[in-house]
Order: sequence, then structure tokens, then C-alpha cells
Amino acid sequence: MRLVNTVPVLDEAKCIGCVICTSVCPTLAWSLDRKTKLAVLDEPLCFGCVNCEARCPTYAITMVPRDEDRLLYVDPKQVDYAKVEALCRKARFHPEQIICFCTSSRAEEAAAAILTGSRTPEEISVRTGIRSGCTVECAQPLLRLLEAAGIPFTPALDGKGWQIYGKVPTVWKYAGRGFHFEEDIALMEEVIASPAQPPA
Amino acid sequence: MKRAPIPPRQTLKSKYGIDPSLLKKRGAELPGICSLRTTDLFPDQPEVIYPNEQKGIMAIREETQRMMGRVDLSKIKPRDSVNVLSSHHGFTLLGGEPYAEMLRTIRDVVAERTGCARISLRVGQGLRYREGEEFIRRFKLDSHFTNTSALAPIDAGVPIETEIGTLYGTKKAYDADWIIHTHNSDVREIHFHRMVDRAVKPFGMSYARLETRSGYHQNLGPRAANFMARAIFDSDFVQKKYVCTAFLMVAPSGIVAVDCDNDLYALNDRVVIAGMKYYGKIVTLLGSIDSCVAVLDFPAPVPYVFSGGLIYGNFLGARHDLFDLEKPLPSYTFYTEAYYGHGDRHLTHHVPGINPALKMTVHNYAFIGYPSEFFAAKVPTVVVGREQANLFRHDPQSTAYMDHAVTADDLDGAVKFATRLAGTNNILIFDGAVGGVNMSESLADIFLKVAPEVSRRVDQELLPRWLKQRGMDPGVLAAWRTRKYPLAA
Repeated sequence: MRLVNTVPVLDEAKCIGCVICTSVCPTLAWSLDRKTKLAVLDEPLCFGCVNCEARCPTYAITMVPRDEDRLLYVDPKQVDYAKVEALCRKARFHPEQIICFCTSSRAEEAAAAILTGSRTPEEISVRTGIRSGCTVECAQPLLRLLEAAGIPFTPALDGKGWQIYGKVPTVWKYAGRGFHFEEDIALMEEVIASPAQPPA
Repeated sequence: MKRAPIPPRQTLKSKYGIDPSLLKKRGAELPGICSLRTTDLFPDQPEVIYPNEQKGIMAIREETQRMMGRVDLSKIKPRDSVNVLSSHHGFTLLGGEPYAEMLRTIRDVVAERTGCARISLRVGQGLRYREGEEFIRRFKLDSHFTNTSALAPIDAGVPIETEIGTLYGTKKAYDADWIIHTHNSDVREIHFHRMVDRAVKPFGMSYARLETRSGYHQNLGPRAANFMARAIFDSDFVQKKYVCTAFLMVAPSGIVAVDCDNDLYALNDRVVIAGMKYYGKIVTLLGSIDSCVAVLDFPAPVPYVFSGGLIYGNFLGARHDLFDLEKPLPSYTFYTEAYYGHGDRHLTHHVPGINPALKMTVHNYAFIGYPSEFFAAKVPTVVVGREQANLFRHDPQSTAYMDHAVTADDLDGAVKFATRLAGTNNILIFDGAVGGVNMSESLADIFLKVAPEVSRRVDQELLPRWLKQRGMDPGVLAAWRTRKYPLAA
């Protein structure tokens, strides 16, 4: 769940059309106008993460408070919770496990988004707000859940952007050398197997 | 032995904090606050080379020159390019100048010994993607290097084939013929690295893309994740570029040395020993008290504000021995945070809970730009000033922080409210005071009383166990018996 309360504003006089904002946007809200060579925001796709503002090389983007806040949330209760639970556990998450630390979103919400039609990390983000904070730490859970749902992943913008390149290994794929791999697998398996309670 | 308060770390003008003019009072200015030096508590704390009344910052330059003289730079040819890889953490230590001076000196030594002129600086960042630029400007580093660049995990990346599969680094970290790895030994995020491959970690974090960082915090497990950095460092891609490593060696009392080595793993062993030996007693001491109100008062995100050389994030877990690898989860780490289900129920019995001594927190001054909701949700928190509250409400990484906290108009009112509600006069101030800790007199009395037993327990029981858990013979401590860092001049 994420309350979106800011929106980026572009100073067109400073925009050089470098497309860095389009490359770092987790929801593909920015694009380049081919005629003006200026960045253009598709505001309904924006969830106020500040990546564009933070990486713009000419400081052309500033974040301002929105006129009206917008709540992003996919309620897991709208889906058969048994299906939510099954998808989470297949991706090796407990349904109640928090996967986005900026929004405190749980695996069950991302699973519900997938079960109600989201097919890419960007689509999940636009609906749930997951990846709207640091935009970093929660990338892999989205890929794991999509893979568990049988949805193949291809990088956004045909790989020309810098959104998410791909999956990286999990502890279950590698247990070859020290570092408490076996013990951490046991810990994570215990979490995954523990009973779940649907949200109130 | 109780002394006057130590001046707190000065405020900073940054896009991640309130304007310094809005900060009306510091924790150290509260009535009844005193300080203890870390050497008052633990007389075996190491000698420092900085702060240095005689030499000032030249002490860092001289030590860096001396230790860089021990490393082989013969790989670097005059027409080659070199990236000095650094991390934002270093710029938060003692105001940042010691780390900045080490970086400048490394550049000068490399240029002088190799004839190479194309030496660039790369500043790895956490989750505040303008912070590196702020550090580069503040320390005028762009005038010292061929070019400078702050690395964000959302920037263009490069795939790195490793023994566990494909991981990703940031492209600009590796866009030179050679890399020199520079960092610091401050223990800082014990909850993440657990002093396992501490010196290697930046390869899996500061220099890494979002896929790698996310994998570290979500895919590998709370202890096994530290293998990720080793996998990247050991890759052919990195090994073909790697030259050497330089570390600013830190203790709660200050900078104890600069350590340089071509062998990262040899240096890593010294960093791990130094971390546990120099910080083990103070973290155990913080875990020994029964009740306290924490005052956050430092220009860094909530978990990263310092007291006695330790961060607030450590204090949350101080009761449960953060160095003990047999305990899978510390009180705070992303894996632990993940395992709080609906209604705060624990998804595993391994979740240890928050240090019960931490009754309330007064947030006087801290930065946004880090997922911080957990802290306000788990510890009753009073935020000083509406401007600061508003800053947090609009931080996309912590939009719900203020849902769990209340605001107070001023620091005095906040502390009065917190101590009354918590039923304690013990106040611990996280303000980055160098060489000691600012606190209330009642807490100082407790610290002085329990410190000798803490010292004995760490020396005789905990430190040998921590070393064994990391494959080290406690006999290595023979070289660490004096107060001087083993390789110091």
C-alpha cells in the first residue's frame, strides 16, 4: 500500500532530452516527445518515487506535493486467498512476508496483483506502489512471484532502459560453501511453511 | 569521571534533512547531560591517529602514504585509467574529512608512482541518489580527480558472471582499466554483514546494481547473503581490474590507522578482528542496560545516527549479541522486518524482538532517504518539529513513518514527554560525538558500574567465540594485545 503524495514537475528549459528519466522510472511514466525532444510525464503511471528527480543531470525535475493524494493498493481479499497463498509459497515467500520495506507491502498483495492481471513488474508497481520508495530492494520478489505464476520476464523498453535486468540467484540454487547457507535455508523454509492469516 | 558533553556532529545542509536553521537545540544541550570517553569505560580502547592535535588531517595523509607504499601498483601503466571506488559511509565518519583525505592521498600516490594521469573517483551510494554529489561538492573532490561520479543502483549496469550465476554491477564503477577499492572498518551495519566478509561487502552493495542488492536482502538469507559480494569480487571480470584495497581503520574513539593491501582477504581478516575487538565491548554495554530513551540527533537516516561509534540500528539489536552467528536474525535487518506478519505476529520464533531497554525515541534530527517505518512502528517515537515531520511524510521511502509517531514543538518538551511516559531518566544521545558518548548522568552511572564486567565477558568469553565462528583461532589476538593497531607506525 502506498499513499502517493508527490509528483514530479519538469522545467522544460532545463530538459536536454537525455532520456535518463525514462531509463530509471520503475513504472515507465516518462517518455520522450519525438518532436520537441523533451521528456513527457504520463501522470497516472507516476507513483512519486523520485528516481527521475534524483538522477536528472540538469536538475530539471522537482518533486511537489500533489493536489490530491492517491492511494495504491490491491486488496488480497478480492482474490481467493488460497490461490494467493499458493502463489506466494511457490515463489518461496510467506504470504504475509513484507517484500517492500518502503511501503510495508506484503507478498500477498503482489500475488493478488498478478492473479488479477498484472503481467510485468511495472504493472504490479503501478497498482500496488511496490518499488515506489528506494525502488531497489523489492525488485527480486516481483520477479520470483511472476516466475511462479508462469509469466515469462522480459526487461522493460526491450532492455534499453535500466528498470530491472533480470533475476539473480536464490539461496536454494546455491548451497555450496559455508556462510550458513544450510541454516539460512532452514530458517526461510520454516517461515514459508508457517500458517498464514488473510488480512483483516 | 563524568565530563562535560562532547560537541555533537555539526548539522549539514542537505536535500535529505531539514534546513539546519530549523534545528533549535541539540541533545547535548539538554539539562543534566554529561559525557563519558570510550577510554573511561574501556581503557584498552586503541590509540588513535586522528583526531590529532599536532598533525591534524596530515596524520591521515602521512599514514596513507606510508601504507600505500606497501602495495604493488605495477599493473598500472602511465596511459591506463584507474577508478578509485569509494562509498558514502566513509564521508559520515568524523565529519568525513579523514576519508576524503585518504582518497585524495591515494590518487596522489598512484599518480606519482605509476605516472598515470587518468584517475577518477566513483562514490558508491546507499538509497539517497544525490548524496554522493553532495559529498563530492562538500569535499571539493572534483578538483582532485580526472572525473568524479556518484553511483546509484538504478544507473546503467553491467552483468558480472560469478560462480553463483549472473549478478550486476553499476557500469561506471568498472569503466576504467583498473579499480582500487577503498572503504572503512566502521562496523556500522552489523545487522546486515554480521562481520562476515565485512571488507568485501561494497562489491555486493555500493558498487552493485539493484538486482544484486535486492538479491542480497531477499534471496540469499540473513547470513548467506554475504556470499554475494565474495562471488562478485572473485569473478574474472573484477579480478582482471582489481589492483589493491585501502581502508580507513576506525574505532569508537577515532581513526586508528590506514590499512592497505593487495590481498583483500588478508585485509578482511584484520577488519573483522578490529571490528569485533574495538566495538564488541561498547555494543555489549549498550545491550546491558534496562531502560533508556534514545535521542536521534545526527545528519544521517534514522538507523544510521551514531552514539559511541555505533548506529541506532545496532542499539535495537544490542540485547541479542549481533556478532553471534548462531543467532540467525538480529532484532533489525530486512529479513527480520519481513518476518513480521499481520498484527505484528512473528512468522518465525527466531524473530528476537526489539531491545526491551529502548522504551522511547526522540527524533530531534535525522535524514530521510531510507526505509524507516519499521523504527517508528516498533519504538514509540516523538518527532521534533512540524517541518521534520512533514519532510518524512513526503519521503517515498518512509511515507508511513509519521503514521506511527507523534510530533512535539521542541526538544525539551519531547524529552520531558518521553522520559515521563517511559518512566526513566536514562537518556542516550545519538549525535556522533567523537571519542565518547553523551548521555544523562543516571545512564553514565550505570555504564561506569557495568563496564568492567562487560569488558571481562567480551575478552574472556565473547570475543574468542566470535572469532571461532568466523574460522579464526583466538590466538590471532596475540598481535592485538597493545593499544596500537598491529600495522600502525
